[in-house]
Amino acid sequence: MRIPLEWLREFVAVPADASEVAHKLTMIGLEVEAVENLDNDVVFEVNVTPNRPDCLSVIGIARELSAVYNTPLEFPDHDILAETGELDFNVDILDKELCHRYAGRIVKNLRLGASPEWLRNRLEKCNIRSINNIVDITNYVLLELGHPLHAFDLGTIKGRRIRIGTPNTVKGKGAKVVIKTIDGVDHEMPGESLLIWDEKRPIAVAGVMGGHETEVSDSTKDIFIESAYFDPASVRRTSKALGLKTESSFRFERGTDIKMLKKALDRAAYLMKTVAGGDIHGKIDIYPKRYRPAAIIVRYERVNEILGLRLTKKDMLNCLNGLGFEIETLPDRLKIKPPAYRRDIKMEADVIEEIVRIYGYDRIPAQLPKATIGTEGNELKVRSNIKQAFLKSGFTEVINYSFMGIHDIDMLGIDEKDERRNSVRIKNPLRAEDSLMRTTLIPSMIKNLVHNVAHGNKELRLFETAKVFIGRNENSGLPDEREHLAALYYKEKVKALYKDETHDFYIVKGIIEAVFNELKIYDYSFIRSSEPFLHSGQSADIFIMDEKVGYVGSVSPAVIDVLDIKAHKPAVVVMELDIDKLMPYTMQVVKYRALPKYPHVERDTALVVDSSIEASAIVAWLKSYASDMIEDIHIFDVYQGKNIPEGKKSIAFNVRYRAAGRTLKDEEVDALHKSLVDYILDKTNGQLRQ
Amino acid sequence: MEDPKQTFLKELSSANNLSELANLRVKYLGRKGIITERLKSLSALPPEERPLQGKNINEIKESIEADLDSRESRLKHEELKKQLLSDSVDVTLSGKFIPFGRPHPINKVLSEITDIFVGMGFSVEEGPEVELDYYNFEALNIPKDHPARDMQDTFYITDDIVLRTHTSPVQVRVMEKRKPPVRFIAPGKVYRCDADITHTPMFHQIEGFMVDKGITFSNLKGVLEAFLHRMFGADTPVRFRPSFFPFTEPSAEVDIGCILCGGAGCRVCKGSGWLEILGAGMVNPKVFEHVGYDPEEYSGFAFGMGIERIAMLKYSIDDIRLFYENDIRFLRQF
Repeated sequence: MRIPLEWLREFVAVPADASEVAHKLTMIGLEVEAVENLDNDVVFEVNVTPNRPDCLSVIGIARELSAVYNTPLEFPDHDILAETGELDFNVDILDKELCHRYAGRIVKNLRLGASPEWLRNRLEKCNIRSINNIVDITNYVLLELGHPLHAFDLGTIKGRRIRIGTPNTVKGKGAKVVIKTIDGVDHEMPGESLLIWDEKRPIAVAGVMGGHETEVSDSTKDIFIESAYFDPASVRRTSKALGLKTESSFRFERGTDIKMLKKALDRAAYLMKTVAGGDIHGKIDIYPKRYRPAAIIVRYERVNEILGLRLTKKDMLNCLNGLGFEIETLPDRLKIKPPAYRRDIKMEADVIEEIVRIYGYDRIPAQLPKATIGTEGNELKVRSNIKQAFLKSGFTEVINYSFMGIHDIDMLGIDEKDERRNSVRIKNPLRAEDSLMRTTLIPSMIKNLVHNVAHGNKELRLFETAKVFIGRNENSGLPDEREHLAALYYKEKVKALYKDETHDFYIVKGIIEAVFNELKIYDYSFIRSSEPFLHSGQSADIFIMDEKVGYVGSVSPAVIDVLDIKAHKPAVVVMELDIDKLMPYTMQVVKYRALPKYPHVERDTALVVDSSIEASAIVAWLKSYASDMIEDIHIFDVYQGKNIPEGKKSIAFNVRYRAAGRTLKDEEVDALHKSLVDYILDKTNGQLRQ
Repeated sequence: MEDPKQTFLKELSSANNLSELANLRVKYLGRKGIITERLKSLSALPPEERPLQGKNINEIKESIEADLDSRESRLKHEELKKQLLSDSVDVTLSGKFIPFGRPHPINKVLSEITDIFVGMGFSVEEGPEVELDYYNFEALNIPKDHPARDMQDTFYITDDIVLRTHTSPVQVRVMEKRKPPVRFIAPGKVYRCDADITHTPMFHQIEGFMVDKGITFSNLKGVLEAFLHRMFGADTPVRFRPSFFPFTEPSAEVDIGCILCGGAGCRVCKGSGWLEILGAGMVNPKVFEHVGYDPEEYSGFAFGMGIERIAMLKYSIDDIRLFYENDIRFLRQF
């Protein structure tokens, strides 16, 4: 809201300069966001919070300044000196819950024309365009007193009658009611929206916008000025339903001053007579629903308990006295009735805020509460450990929007029955491609790849942890939110100082194993994956016990092909883990195991087996051999090529033997190892490598 | 009789490697070596000469042994030096390493803030990002048809389900399942239907909440001042001014002295010398009523802040969209 200082000074003699006034307003809750210096004046841009519609006017701000500077407030001149004629007009409020008061005046024989300079000038300072003297005056009064008015062309009102009611009340439920508003748009009105009607038809949308047919035009001489109080929620519903937001609706939906409306009406009539020379006729004022505030009890002790201060009764009264409250003082409490323009004051806490607002927030001492111990909680600690493992492995963290589009899921070739198609849809997305909540983090990762490759970044190790949103719970309607982690690895093949022949797949798999190692998860396995967007020969699903917790693999060339990447088609490895699923396996207590007392003995053996036999099968067979002296088995070489027959591969493994209570003898290890080798040769139908 | 020592010394000086030296040792001290033979020949001497000659030869033997040892250790040292020289690498070539990854700047700031509050006795809570209208608005005293809803542009899933517009619904969820005292922060993603140079449709907030007997506005100031001084430096000016949030009463906006211009006024603080950094207030009794806390028995405070804004100030980032482009040239700076 723009407030010219010169206009303010008309109502309150502020003993301070512009920058001090701006500071003062800010410190009582009326934040001055900008101070604009004009010729001979200063305009404040005041950010008025939604609870303070009383400050959406010059008089409202002046009232606050009068309270803090303890200087009297002057009201603008609105005395109607001569009234000519009676008001032969009928006004009926049909929906009294939606219209608490309706007043009006007729002004006749107006000379419609341009506004005088002082009027235009003030409107312009407040960024309101001048139209003609009549419309300008209604706007002027709106800015000055904060009360919206509407002027009808009197001649167009049929039957010298005004009714205020909803289509349901006036026409009955289900009746179709259309009104063309002054912006030229036809609106079909909801049955419960409040309208102003003449004898025949609706002539205005109450509190939102006037009707086109009764609008003040160049030929208008006689007008009817409306000044009313409409129910805030009702105006808001109508304004939302029509998608129409006006200076009027903005104020009505926040709540106007039901007592000020008469003053505003008279002020407008007075100014019209002054500016456009009209004859002011008698007034009508129907006030079926009076403002009767309930008394609010404010306990002195409670004020100090909430604020942490030791204010006396006198201190409190000093703060409240300038704010227009009706105050009754009792020994331990105050009884307060707020004025009609402060409908935001409803309970004790509201009054406490008023006291401290005027007293000054900066005068409250800062005092720490008594100490306790805080904790992050186990789940966050595990997540943080996982993140650390990725960071240490060279992966940089990204954060993407939680959105995706159906195209992203289609691109991955996700099956129709897959739960990742069971996504949450946003009704009002910013863009169609952001209309779903993510069910997988992979599409975002791929976007990060495309962006970075396009900008010449040749090596990417990225990861993200974020929620995915699956389905909707039948009871709550909310989706299942799961914490996922996704990572992407891409390295352009360029000449490098140090050679590393490790396949990209194993780089990412290695990190997953490092994470499991860090979390002390041991019962995991990697089983060939059937994810449709992964390379079928270079991908694996990750299991812990029998539960699938994620997957890792090279992105299928079919997916890479459709990406917007010029020149070359990169090899990319991605992975995704459901972190929530890891949680139950991580709650292990560390318990020390004694170090072995006796030495171990190692034996290496290389087998030649069918190339279709996977390493995990060989390790599993070796482990299935019954011996309590086998401590560890690992594969240290896999080879295919020269000296190995077609369709075969060589697998070399190392076994570490140890006995618990003694030193093993070479001969017994030789015998045991030979037996183990015979066992595995039998299982694999393989041969020893020569 | 010639002096074997003299010949030995001549030969020693021309022994230039360890194998020549070993030969020399055999030649003099071996089983058939010159000195060994001399010692053996002592028995042929008359008994009265033996002690003197024996002493002489033993002295020569010891001296030769010492010379051989010293020569050997010197040659060994030289050979090692030669070997090390031939094994040397170019120490100026870069080492083989994978640089550690970097946390996203938003999460970096988020954990910094979390650590400060955990240090002040706050625990960490979470809540759903797809949230019921009830928790996001109604229970926080923001009824339907209330203008306060305009403060936040909302993404809707259905009429009753929204993407949470702030982290405040976590307050209600925690109070529903726990009795006071409660003291927690709730970091997380929030969503608003808005996108330009200063707004992204998703961003991050941290909510702080504390309820107990006898919690005051003064405590709120104490906690937030301590936090802001840790976060921005002990000399940073902090100011509280009245504001409006439907779920707190009294409500406050908290500013810090502009960390870029030191309060003199600049583009970032729009000339005011102050930067708005968080919103706060005493929990509105109506919020307590929604969850069955007795506002006569308990009081508390709540605060909330946007992480992007703090990260932008901290690292002088002028376009919020950089956070979500995920260009590694940007991300690796933090």
